[in-house]
Amino acid sequence: MADAKQSGSIRCVITTPETTSLDTHARSVVLPLDDGERGVARGHTPFIGRLGAGEVRVIGEQGAGGEAVRRVFVEGGFVEVSHGVVSVITQRAVPAETLDQAAAKADLERIAASRATGDEAIATKLRELETARKLVRTASRR
Amino acid sequence: MAKARALDRRRKSVKNIRKITRTMELIATARFKKAMDRSVAARDYTKQLAKILENIGSVGADVSHPLLEVRPTRRTAVLVLTGNRGLCGGYNSNIVRQAVALLGQWKSEQVPAHVTVSGKRGISALKFRGIDIAERHTTFEDKPEFAAVAPIGRAYLDAYAAGQIDRLDVVYTKFHSIAKQEAITETLLPLAPPETSAGGTKANLASDEYEFYPSAASILEEILPASFLSRLFKCFLDAAVSEQVARMVAMKAATENAGGLIKSLSRQYNRARQSQITGEIMEILGGVEALKK
Repeated sequence: MADAKQSGSIRCVITTPETTSLDTHARSVVLPLDDGERGVARGHTPFIGRLGAGEVRVIGEQGAGGEAVRRVFVEGGFVEVSHGVVSVITQRAVPAETLDQAAAKADLERIAASRATGDEAIATKLRELETARKLVRTASRR
Repeated sequence: MAKARALDRRRKSVKNIRKITRTMELIATARFKKAMDRSVAARDYTKQLAKILENIGSVGADVSHPLLEVRPTRRTAVLVLTGNRGLCGGYNSNIVRQAVALLGQWKSEQVPAHVTVSGKRGISALKFRGIDIAERHTTFEDKPEFAAVAPIGRAYLDAYAAGQIDRLDVVYTKFHSIAKQEAITETLLPLAPPETSAGGTKANLASDEYEFYPSAASILEEILPASFLSRLFKCFLDAAVSEQVARMVAMKAATENAGGLIKSLSRQYNRARQSQITGEIMEILGGVEALKK
């Protein structure tokens, strides 16, 4: 984990196939990598990582105090961290405050109740289940 | 009188048509601008993906993946992108001609083709030519959404992975510039291998610094389908932009033609009216002369 107290800001860009949905400066960014969260602040080693489903937390330049934190739900994708720029490339990015908790829960239940037969279908179902769970978690965390 | 009145009626109807084509031209212009903006906004994503691919390629990771593998074509899939509406010049017919040629070629090689058509115009034209259409989409208008395109793309990826298809060709209108659009056939599967950049040394230097989580191979595995989907989405966006440009140009020409037609009809009408008046005067004069005698 990088040192969040380090001075200076980084640029965070979230790109989806349709548009660039966020382009802002931040003190640090927390990314949902495939195998767990990772925080990035200025001066982080350049890396390319695979994202899982989860929320990207962009902590504003004023620090983590209250509303300065922007949360965006992303569904997989990649992240490229280079000198002072964090580029998130994902197929779907939704600001957390626009998520509908009830709809997310209903979706999770629907997927959990569905039957999957065959290796591929089971793998798909597990993946969808994981995404739905993360969606519910992001939606219910206010 | 009959002739002049008929001419006047015709002139009025041409004027109405001109109003319609002029409005359609304006609408197409507005839609074109919006579609163009979307297309430009979508470029960033492709650019970022290409950058990562380039970095993985230059780091020397083993760039082999089922999606890159070229197999002998035993079964193929063709996706044809046309518009839902006409009145856009040669836009739809160019695509249909291209698609028919491609399908004819597969037929002569005895390769069964799974045909998917988007757009009502293409569906009816291909049906008329006796082509068996396996799937139809009529929901794509001037603003194709990634969420709608992605399921189509994923279905192709699954079919390709399962060996149900060995190749995917997309027939669509590529947008080069506002003055040039071209109906082309693009092969999306197997995927073209990632291009290595011209400035190879520079890329190498940059990529030395990158770490990969969890590994370059795992990222490659995920990024190739994403890159395929973004290419497919680009085809839909290009088709949408091209359709609006084609309609804009066609409607501009129609408006101009209507203007010319109105001018010549007005001239004919005035001449007919004048000759009618002259005729009437001659008749009156003739009557007066007859009464004098």
